[in-house]
Amino acid sequence: MEAVLKTFDLGKRFGKRWAARDINLEVHRGDIFCFLGPNGAGKSTTIRMILTLLRPTAGTIQLFGLDLHKHRREVLARVGGIVEKPDFYLYLSASKNLELLGSMTRRIKRDEVMEALARVGLKARAHDKVQTFSHGMKQRLGIAQALLTRPELIILDEPTTGLDPQGMKDVRELIQRLAQEEGMTIFLSSHLLSEIEQVATRMAVVHRGEVVAQGSVSELLAQEATDYALQASPVKKTLKLIEPIPWVKVLSSGDAGIELRLEPGRAAELNRLLVTNRVEVLSFYPRRTLEDFFLKVTKGTPEI
Amino acid sequence: MTLFGFEAYKTFSRWRTYISFGVLALIVLMTEIVMRVSAKEIVNSMMKPFQRDFIIAGNIVNAWFITAFIMNSLHFHIPFLITLVAGDMVSSEATAGTVRFLLIRPPSRQRILNAKYLTALFYTAVLVVFFALLCVVVGLVLFGSGDLIMHRLGQFSIVFIPEAEIPVRMLLAFVAAVWSMTVVASVAFLFSAMAENSIGPIIGTMAVVICLLIFGNLPLDFFRHLKPLFFTTHMLLWQGFFDQSIRWLEIGTSALIIGLHNAALFLIASLIYRRKDIKS
Repeated sequence: MEAVLKTFDLGKRFGKRWAARDINLEVHRGDIFCFLGPNGAGKSTTIRMILTLLRPTAGTIQLFGLDLHKHRREVLARVGGIVEKPDFYLYLSASKNLELLGSMTRRIKRDEVMEALARVGLKARAHDKVQTFSHGMKQRLGIAQALLTRPELIILDEPTTGLDPQGMKDVRELIQRLAQEEGMTIFLSSHLLSEIEQVATRMAVVHRGEVVAQGSVSELLAQEATDYALQASPVKKTLKLIEPIPWVKVLSSGDAGIELRLEPGRAAELNRLLVTNRVEVLSFYPRRTLEDFFLKVTKGTPEI
Repeated sequence: MTLFGFEAYKTFSRWRTYISFGVLALIVLMTEIVMRVSAKEIVNSMMKPFQRDFIIAGNIVNAWFITAFIMNSLHFHIPFLITLVAGDMVSSEATAGTVRFLLIRPPSRQRILNAKYLTALFYTAVLVVFFALLCVVVGLVLFGSGDLIMHRLGQFSIVFIPEAEIPVRMLLAFVAAVWSMTVVASVAFLFSAMAENSIGPIIGTMAVVICLLIFGNLPLDFFRHLKPLFFTTHMLLWQGFFDQSIRWLEIGTSALIIGLHNAALFLIASLIYRRKDIKS
């Protein structure tokens, strides 16, 4: 799998405090890679280093297999991004902002500007000054400018901040469309676990400046015992089948269903067992959320 | 669009850029109208020391005289107006947050800074040329043309420049005036590259200009030795083109010192900005 972005022991120190330390990330082509962490964990610091806004104190960054600092111009032409909140030239129109910023990468045609605005639902406001835009509209305009030059990698720092629920859903769908239909690689930072759960294919968890977990979302969540909710009929037969199994622990049972704890990777096996014993499985899904995982991996990480 | 075109477009799209032009237009129009009304009084006061020895006839208070007269105030108000834009050139991107979009683009920081500096110099040139043209055009309309007769302050002498020579001398004086004002733009630009807001660079630049003007005029040996190194000492180099005979060496030296200041100030600004962490 081709690595689009790789960091090697990346670190940034402000005074005596390390805002990020020993960050080793690997983002593959086509990933929707989520960089998860609470506020102040070091997400923005890392993104700022990747986008050359901050000079790393330690480590190196590779984009598309090239060293960022040696091939800055070449690699940044293939990257689009938003860092924190999207701020534009308020006295210029949305289309002029995009035209000017896009022209720093390559020659931009008017049609491309309008197409980018249409993708984020701002075509009708193309000629309005940005000072008349709400925060949500600026956020969408930020995504439009990131898409404008058709980059291979898009880095979005908390892209749904300040958006209403519909706006958040639109952005999530747009991100998925960009990855699936246009083959773009998305690097997305967020502190919203629900957001990541819905879009991510791979993720890294950063806490107090250090990466504490990294991998595909499904792999990471499947690493340890997981709680499941099972609705099956008949219940008594189901319980009789599963209670003797050593890797299953029944947590509760009742009319609403059965709550179980399984050893990692055993869910499919249990489902097969129930079906072959003529138990009708109405629903069977994990109760363990990314939130549980996040709280577990960030527990006990030392202060740096 | 080139980076310079991008920066120039942004600069000239903001209404605050035009404050300076409005202020200058007001100053020139008010001054020339008042001078038109009280021309006789001005001539009498200016020529008083010479009236016993000379008979002065003709159109003394003409467009050229008025232009040279108003240009004497160049080192007071124009530096302030230049800092409004040059001091804002880099720092405003940090204040507005647009720096985060700007510096993640392929062009290097140095190239972006070059474009911004060129824009600051371009704005300075446009402002001074606007000021000069306005002085001349309004002067020609209100006072007409003629020979230039000037009394240099503090000297018992009169400069007489025939009308035919004046356009070339004026042109050279304007070029020199633009050059002298670029040093103010450079100081403001340096502060702008260091700051995260626009107020600091504006106040900082004016503080530097005022301090150097004061130090340069203090009757103390220490400052008298340093005075030739102050850029403020050389900011009035354009006046050399209104001497009876042009002192090219002095003008050239002043121009060189201003050029060296510009180069040094921009070099420092570049070194700082290229290494700066963008935290805003």
